[in-house]
Amino acid sequence: MAEGVTPVRMPDLGEVGAAVVVEWLVGVGSAVVAGDDLVEVETEKTTFVIPAPASGRLGAIRVPVGGTARVEDVLGSIDRA
Amino acid sequence: MLVKLGRLAYDPALALQRRAHALRVAGRIRDVLFTVEHDPVFTCGRRARAESFRVDAAGIEAAGIAVRRVERGGDVTYHGPGQLVVYPIFDLRAQGRDVKGHVATLEEAAIRTLAGWGLVATRREGLPGVWTARGKVGSVGVYVRRWVSMHGLALNVAVDAAHFAMIDPCGLPIRAVSIADEVAPAPSLVVVEERFVAEYGKLLGVRWREEPATWLEGRGDG
Repeated sequence: MAEGVTPVRMPDLGEVGAAVVVEWLVGVGSAVVAGDDLVEVETEKTTFVIPAPASGRLGAIRVPVGGTARVEDVLGSIDRA
Repeated sequence: MLVKLGRLAYDPALALQRRAHALRVAGRIRDVLFTVEHDPVFTCGRRARAESFRVDAAGIEAAGIAVRRVERGGDVTYHGPGQLVVYPIFDLRAQGRDVKGHVATLEEAAIRTLAGWGLVATRREGLPGVWTARGKVGSVGVYVRRWVSMHGLALNVAVDAAHFAMIDPCGLPIRAVSIADEVAPAPSLVVVEERFVAEYGKLLGVRWREEPATWLEGRGDG
Protein backbone atom coordinates (compact mmCIF):
# COMPACT_ATOMS: atom_id res chain seq x y z
CA MET A 1 0.00 0.00 0.00
CA ALA A 2 1.17 3.52 -0.80
CA GLU A 3 1.99 6.01 1.90
CA GLY A 4 -1.15 7.68 3.26
CA VAL A 5 -3.24 4.59 2.53
CA THR A 6 -4.56 2.23 5.20
CA PRO A 7 -5.83 -1.18 4.12
CA VAL A 8 -9.24 -2.38 5.31
CA ARG A 9 -8.62 -5.98 6.31
CA MET A 10 -10.92 -8.87 7.12
CA PRO A 11 -10.64 -9.27 10.91
CA ASP A 12 -10.06 -12.54 12.71
CA LEU A 13 -13.50 -13.65 13.92
CA GLY A 14 -12.53 -17.07 15.21
CA GLU A 15 -12.29 -20.22 13.16
CA VAL A 16 -14.60 -19.04 10.44
CA GLY A 17 -14.36 -19.89 6.77
CA ALA A 18 -14.62 -17.32 4.02
CA ALA A 19 -16.88 -14.35 4.67
CA VAL A 20 -19.10 -12.76 2.03
CA VAL A 21 -19.25 -8.98 1.62
CA VAL A 22 -22.90 -8.02 2.15
CA GLU A 23 -22.76 -4.24 1.88
CA TRP A 24 -20.32 -1.36 1.73
CA LEU A 25 -21.93 1.20 4.02
CA VAL A 26 -20.13 4.16 2.43
CA GLY A 27 -19.28 4.82 -1.20
CA VAL A 28 -15.82 5.24 -2.73
CA GLY A 29 -14.66 8.80 -2.14
CA SER A 30 -16.87 9.31 0.91
CA ALA A 31 -15.38 10.64 4.12
CA VAL A 32 -15.05 8.24 7.05
CA VAL A 33 -13.90 8.60 10.63
CA ALA A 34 -11.89 5.82 12.28
CA GLY A 35 -14.32 3.51 14.03
CA ASP A 36 -17.29 4.33 11.78
CA ASP A 37 -19.26 1.39 10.39
CA LEU A 38 -17.66 0.70 7.00
CA VAL A 39 -18.53 -2.68 5.55
CA GLU A 40 -20.75 -5.61 6.50
CA VAL A 41 -19.60 -9.16 5.98
CA GLU A 42 -21.39 -12.42 6.72
CA THR A 43 -20.02 -15.75 7.84
CA GLU A 44 -21.39 -18.61 9.93
CA LYS A 45 -24.88 -17.01 9.91
CA THR A 46 -23.38 -13.92 11.47
CA THR A 47 -23.39 -10.39 10.08
CA PHE A 48 -20.28 -8.56 11.25
CA VAL A 49 -19.81 -4.82 10.82
CA ILE A 50 -16.19 -3.88 10.15
CA PRO A 51 -15.23 -0.37 11.31
CA ALA A 52 -13.08 2.03 9.36
CA PRO A 53 -9.45 1.46 10.44
CA ALA A 54 -8.49 5.11 9.85
CA SER A 55 -10.02 8.51 9.15
CA GLY A 56 -10.02 9.82 5.60
CA ARG A 57 -11.90 8.77 2.48
CA LEU A 58 -12.79 5.32 1.21
CA GLY A 59 -10.19 5.15 -1.55
CA ALA A 60 -10.95 1.81 -3.15
CA ILE A 61 -13.09 -1.29 -2.83
CA ARG A 62 -11.11 -4.44 -3.56
CA VAL A 63 -13.84 -6.96 -2.68
CA PRO A 64 -17.27 -5.87 -3.95
CA VAL A 65 -20.65 -7.03 -2.61
CA GLY A 66 -20.97 -10.79 -3.11
CA GLY A 67 -17.20 -11.29 -3.10
CA THR A 68 -15.54 -13.45 -0.47
CA ALA A 69 -12.62 -12.83 1.83
CA ARG A 70 -10.58 -14.67 4.44
CA VAL A 71 -8.85 -13.39 7.54
CA GLU A 72 -6.36 -10.62 6.77
CA ASP A 73 -7.50 -10.27 3.15
CA VAL A 74 -7.65 -6.66 1.99
CA LEU A 75 -11.26 -5.60 1.36
CA GLY A 76 -10.50 -2.02 0.40
CA SER A 77 -8.47 0.97 1.45
CA ILE A 78 -8.75 4.29 3.21
CA ASP A 79 -6.92 7.35 1.85
CA ARG A 80 -5.97 8.95 5.13
CA ALA A 81 -6.95 12.52 5.83
CA MET B 1 -28.29 -10.42 33.39
CA LEU B 2 -31.29 -12.45 32.30
CA VAL B 3 -34.54 -10.88 31.11
CA LYS B 4 -37.44 -13.22 30.35
CA LEU B 5 -39.81 -11.38 28.04
CA GLY B 6 -42.42 -14.14 27.92
CA ARG B 7 -44.76 -13.92 24.94
CA LEU B 8 -43.95 -10.74 23.02
CA ALA B 9 -44.46 -9.69 19.40
CA TYR B 10 -41.36 -9.40 17.23
CA ASP B 11 -41.26 -5.60 16.84
CA PRO B 12 -41.22 -4.60 20.53
CA ALA B 13 -38.71 -7.36 21.24
CA LEU B 14 -36.48 -6.08 18.43
CA ALA B 15 -36.76 -2.55 19.81
CA LEU B 16 -35.62 -3.85 23.20
CA GLN B 17 -32.72 -5.71 21.60
CA ARG B 18 -31.59 -2.63 19.70
CA ARG B 19 -31.84 -0.48 22.80
CA ALA B 20 -29.88 -2.99 24.88
CA HIS B 21 -27.30 -3.30 22.08
CA ALA B 22 -26.79 0.47 21.95
CA LEU B 23 -26.46 0.64 25.74
CA ARG B 24 -24.00 -2.30 25.75
CA VAL B 25 -21.91 -0.64 23.00
CA ALA B 26 -21.86 2.52 25.12
CA GLY B 27 -20.76 0.49 28.14
CA ARG B 28 -23.84 1.56 30.12
CA ILE B 29 -25.11 -1.96 30.85
CA ARG B 30 -23.55 -5.39 31.26
CA ASP B 31 -24.18 -8.41 29.09
CA VAL B 32 -27.84 -9.37 28.95
CA LEU B 33 -29.67 -12.44 27.69
CA PHE B 34 -33.27 -12.04 26.53
CA THR B 35 -35.57 -15.04 26.23
CA VAL B 36 -38.86 -14.69 24.36
CA GLU B 37 -41.67 -16.46 22.51
CA HIS B 38 -42.88 -14.48 19.49
CA ASP B 39 -46.14 -14.10 17.65
CA PRO B 40 -45.89 -15.62 14.15
CA VAL B 41 -43.34 -13.79 11.99
CA PHE B 42 -40.97 -14.53 9.15
CA THR B 43 -37.70 -12.66 9.45
CA CYS B 44 -35.36 -12.14 6.53
CA GLY B 45 -31.64 -11.85 7.21
CA ARG B 46 -29.23 -9.68 5.27
CA ARG B 47 -28.89 -12.23 2.49
CA ALA B 48 -32.47 -13.49 2.34
CA ARG B 49 -33.75 -14.46 -1.10
CA ALA B 50 -37.35 -14.15 -2.28
CA GLU B 51 -37.26 -17.75 -3.53
CA SER B 52 -36.87 -18.98 0.05
CA PHE B 53 -40.64 -18.39 0.40
CA ARG B 54 -42.84 -21.22 -0.87
CA VAL B 55 -45.96 -19.07 -0.78
CA ASP B 56 -46.68 -15.58 -2.08
CA ALA B 57 -47.25 -12.45 -0.01
CA ALA B 58 -51.03 -12.91 -0.13
CA GLY B 59 -50.69 -16.40 1.32
CA ILE B 60 -48.51 -15.15 4.13
CA GLU B 61 -50.89 -12.32 4.91
CA ALA B 62 -53.88 -14.68 4.85
CA ALA B 63 -52.10 -16.82 7.44
CA GLY B 64 -51.69 -13.75 9.64
CA ILE B 65 -47.91 -13.90 9.64
CA ALA B 66 -45.81 -10.74 9.66
CA VAL B 67 -42.63 -10.38 7.57
CA ARG B 68 -39.66 -8.38 8.79
CA ARG B 69 -36.25 -7.60 7.33
CA VAL B 70 -33.51 -7.65 9.97
CA GLU B 71 -29.76 -7.15 10.28
CA ARG B 72 -28.78 -10.67 11.38
CA GLY B 73 -26.92 -13.07 9.17
CA GLY B 74 -28.72 -15.83 7.33
CA ASP B 75 -31.73 -16.23 5.07
CA VAL B 76 -35.43 -16.50 6.01
CA THR B 77 -36.60 -18.03 9.26
CA TYR B 78 -39.81 -18.38 11.20
CA HIS B 79 -40.60 -17.45 14.77
CA GLY B 80 -43.88 -18.19 16.49
CA PRO B 81 -45.70 -19.73 19.41
CA GLY B 82 -44.06 -22.89 20.73
CA GLN B 83 -40.55 -21.69 19.92
CA LEU B 84 -37.97 -20.54 22.46
CA VAL B 85 -35.92 -17.61 21.14
CA VAL B 86 -32.83 -16.32 22.92
CA TYR B 87 -31.01 -13.08 22.22
CA PRO B 88 -27.60 -12.66 23.88
CA ILE B 89 -26.50 -9.02 23.89
CA PHE B 90 -22.89 -9.76 24.73
CA ASP B 91 -19.63 -7.88 24.34
CA LEU B 92 -17.61 -10.51 22.48
CA ARG B 93 -14.33 -8.76 23.29
CA ALA B 94 -14.68 -10.39 26.71
CA GLN B 95 -14.98 -13.77 24.98
CA GLY B 96 -11.87 -13.67 22.83
CA ARG B 97 -13.51 -11.85 19.90
CA ASP B 98 -14.64 -15.26 18.74
CA VAL B 99 -17.73 -14.95 16.57
CA LYS B 100 -17.71 -18.63 15.64
CA GLY B 101 -17.31 -19.54 19.31
CA HIS B 102 -20.32 -17.38 20.20
CA VAL B 103 -22.51 -19.23 17.69
CA ALA B 104 -21.07 -22.62 18.71
CA THR B 105 -21.80 -21.97 22.39
CA LEU B 106 -25.42 -21.16 21.59
CA GLU B 107 -25.68 -24.37 19.56
CA GLU B 108 -23.99 -26.40 22.29
CA ALA B 109 -26.37 -25.08 24.95
CA ALA B 110 -29.30 -26.18 22.78
CA ILE B 111 -27.72 -29.60 22.19
CA ARG B 112 -27.21 -30.12 25.95
CA THR B 113 -30.75 -28.91 26.63
CA LEU B 114 -32.15 -31.49 24.21
CA ALA B 115 -29.95 -34.22 25.73
CA GLY B 116 -31.95 -33.71 28.94
CA TRP B 117 -34.83 -35.48 27.18
CA GLY B 118 -32.60 -38.10 25.61
CA LEU B 119 -32.80 -36.34 22.26
CA VAL B 120 -29.58 -36.57 20.27
CA ALA B 121 -28.85 -33.39 18.33
CA THR B 122 -25.71 -32.27 16.56
CA ARG B 123 -24.08 -29.46 14.65
CA ARG B 124 -23.42 -29.99 10.96
CA GLU B 125 -20.24 -28.63 9.46
CA GLY B 126 -20.99 -25.76 7.15
CA LEU B 127 -24.68 -25.71 8.16
CA PRO B 128 -25.01 -23.65 11.33
CA GLY B 129 -27.91 -24.64 13.55
CA VAL B 130 -28.94 -27.65 15.60
CA TRP B 131 -30.03 -30.85 13.91
CA THR B 132 -31.73 -34.09 14.91
CA ALA B 133 -31.70 -37.13 12.64
CA ARG B 134 -35.01 -35.93 11.17
CA GLY B 135 -34.41 -32.27 10.61
CA LYS B 136 -33.48 -28.86 11.94
CA VAL B 137 -34.64 -28.16 15.49
CA GLY B 138 -32.63 -25.00 16.16
CA SER B 139 -31.65 -22.02 14.01
CA VAL B 140 -29.01 -19.36 14.54
CA GLY B 141 -28.62 -15.88 13.13
CA VAL B 142 -26.41 -13.26 14.71
CA TYR B 143 -25.44 -9.62 14.21
CA VAL B 144 -22.23 -8.17 15.64
CA ARG B 145 -21.46 -4.46 15.60
CA ARG B 146 -18.73 -2.82 17.69
CA TRP B 147 -18.11 -6.38 18.94
CA VAL B 148 -21.51 -6.52 20.64
CA SER B 149 -23.87 -9.28 19.52
CA MET B 150 -27.61 -9.27 19.00
CA HIS B 151 -30.17 -11.74 17.60
CA GLY B 152 -29.31 -15.35 18.47
CA LEU B 153 -30.92 -18.77 18.48
CA ALA B 154 -34.43 -20.19 18.05
CA LEU B 155 -35.29 -23.64 19.37
CA ASN B 156 -38.47 -25.34 18.19
CA VAL B 157 -40.35 -26.78 21.14
CA ALA B 158 -43.79 -27.30 19.57
CA VAL B 159 -44.08 -25.09 16.52
CA ASP B 160 -46.90 -24.96 13.92
CA ALA B 161 -45.42 -27.07 11.10
CA ALA B 162 -47.77 -25.46 8.56
CA HIS B 163 -46.14 -22.09 9.20
CA PHE B 164 -42.63 -23.46 8.79
CA ALA B 165 -43.73 -25.22 5.59
CA MET B 166 -44.20 -21.81 3.95
CA ILE B 167 -40.44 -21.30 3.71
CA ASP B 168 -37.22 -23.10 3.00
CA PRO B 169 -35.61 -22.44 6.39
CA CYS B 170 -32.32 -20.67 5.87
CA GLY B 171 -32.86 -21.06 2.13
CA LEU B 172 -32.42 -24.82 2.23
CA PRO B 173 -34.95 -27.49 1.26
CA ILE B 174 -34.88 -28.97 4.74
CA ARG B 175 -37.42 -30.02 7.29
CA ALA B 176 -37.97 -28.10 10.49
CA VAL B 177 -38.73 -30.34 13.48
CA SER B 178 -39.87 -29.57 17.00
CA ILE B 179 -38.92 -31.26 20.26
CA ALA B 180 -42.59 -32.33 20.39
CA ASP B 181 -42.05 -34.35 17.18
CA GLU B 182 -39.26 -36.29 18.83
CA VAL B 183 -40.08 -36.61 22.52
CA ALA B 184 -43.23 -37.81 24.29
CA PRO B 185 -44.51 -36.35 26.47
CA ALA B 186 -43.14 -33.11 25.13
CA PRO B 187 -41.76 -30.60 27.65
CA SER B 188 -43.38 -27.19 27.97
CA LEU B 189 -41.68 -24.11 26.60
CA VAL B 190 -41.10 -22.76 30.10
CA VAL B 191 -39.27 -25.94 31.13
CA VAL B 192 -37.13 -25.86 27.96
CA GLU B 193 -36.37 -22.20 28.66
CA GLU B 194 -35.23 -23.03 32.21
CA ARG B 195 -32.98 -25.86 31.02
CA PHE B 196 -31.53 -23.83 28.17
CA VAL B 197 -30.71 -20.88 30.39
CA ALA B 198 -29.05 -23.23 32.92
CA GLU B 199 -26.97 -25.03 30.27
CA TYR B 200 -25.98 -21.78 28.58
CA GLY B 201 -24.96 -20.27 31.91
CA LYS B 202 -22.79 -23.31 32.67
CA LEU B 203 -21.04 -23.08 29.31
CA LEU B 204 -20.40 -19.36 29.77
CA GLY B 205 -19.45 -19.70 33.41
CA VAL B 206 -22.03 -17.15 34.54
CA ARG B 207 -24.76 -17.17 37.16
CA TRP B 208 -27.73 -15.30 35.77
CA ARG B 209 -29.31 -12.51 37.73
CA GLU B 210 -32.88 -12.21 36.55
CA GLU B 211 -34.40 -8.81 36.01
CA PRO B 212 -37.95 -7.89 34.97
CA ALA B 213 -38.78 -6.90 31.40
CA THR B 214 -39.04 -3.30 32.57
CA TRP B 215 -35.35 -3.34 33.52
CA LEU B 216 -34.16 -1.29 30.53
CA GLU B 217 -36.69 1.48 31.10
CA GLY B 218 -35.03 4.68 32.17
CA ARG B 219 -31.54 3.30 31.66
CA GLY B 220 -28.85 5.18 29.86
CA ASP B 221 -30.91 8.22 28.98
CA GLY B 222 -29.40 10.59 31.49
